Amino acid sequence: MALPNKVLPGFSATIYCQPGATPTPLTVANLSVYASVSPVVIVGNLIPVEAIPAFGQDDAMANFNVAGSRQSDKIPTQAAPTSMTITAAWNPADTNLLLIRNDAYNGTVDRTFVISASDGTNIVNYAFNGRVGQFTVDPNPTAESKCTFTIHPRGNQYGWSNNTV
Amino acid sequence: MKLSEAIELLTSTYQSLDAVALGLPVDAKEVADALAKADPDSAEYVALQALAKVNPYENTKKEKVKQNDDYNQE
Repeated sequence: MALPNKVLPGFSATIYCQPGATPTPLTVANLSVYASVSPVVIVGNLIPVEAIPAFGQDDAMANFNVAGSRQSDKIPTQAAPTSMTITAAWNPADTNLLLIRNDAYNGTVDRTFVISASDGTNIVNYAFNGRVGQFTVDPNPTAESKCTFTIHPRGNQYGWSNNTV
Repeated sequence: MKLSEAIELLTSTYQSLDAVALGLPVDAKEVADALAKADPDSAEYVALQALAKVNPYENTKKEKVKQNDDYNQE
């Protein structure tokens, strides 16, 4: 089996979180190892989110003026990992949402999260370590209750892996 | 520094692997040999890749042999 080699549709990705109140996040090297990441990718660790937000790295650049040139120059500079604001249907007793809520109140819990995308056969995992910032509950009477939380990935702590091997 | 120590450090760090690898003086040939034997789906392999990036190994001996062969043909 190899890396998915086609344009994936929406809803092909799911997010999982490491279990436990005080997890030991995977080291950077292990975030790129499928065998290390796949134990996190189990149904019990699934976060019941509505959609996976954009993930990756933000843009950052510096604009330099070049004497005598018509155009200035843009050089990429140190960029922040993309923060992920996620909405989930709120079940007050959901184990993983409770973990997320407690992480948000704590603010210093590092946890490994995995976004797993599949074309039905092959799988690609994006694993990263992050801390939870925001956690809000929206009990709007016109719709089902929702909670919103933001995961802030730690810098340089990510890895890609797939089930090629 | 021993390669095993460098690998241990890299597989246990939470820092950028490229940045950490820059500060680990290891033998490039040793890294290349170990990388060839390593399991691609292991933390050691990821660590060795980071080391190989900053310690590129060129098989100059092989190239010299080829060069000599070329001269002999001429």
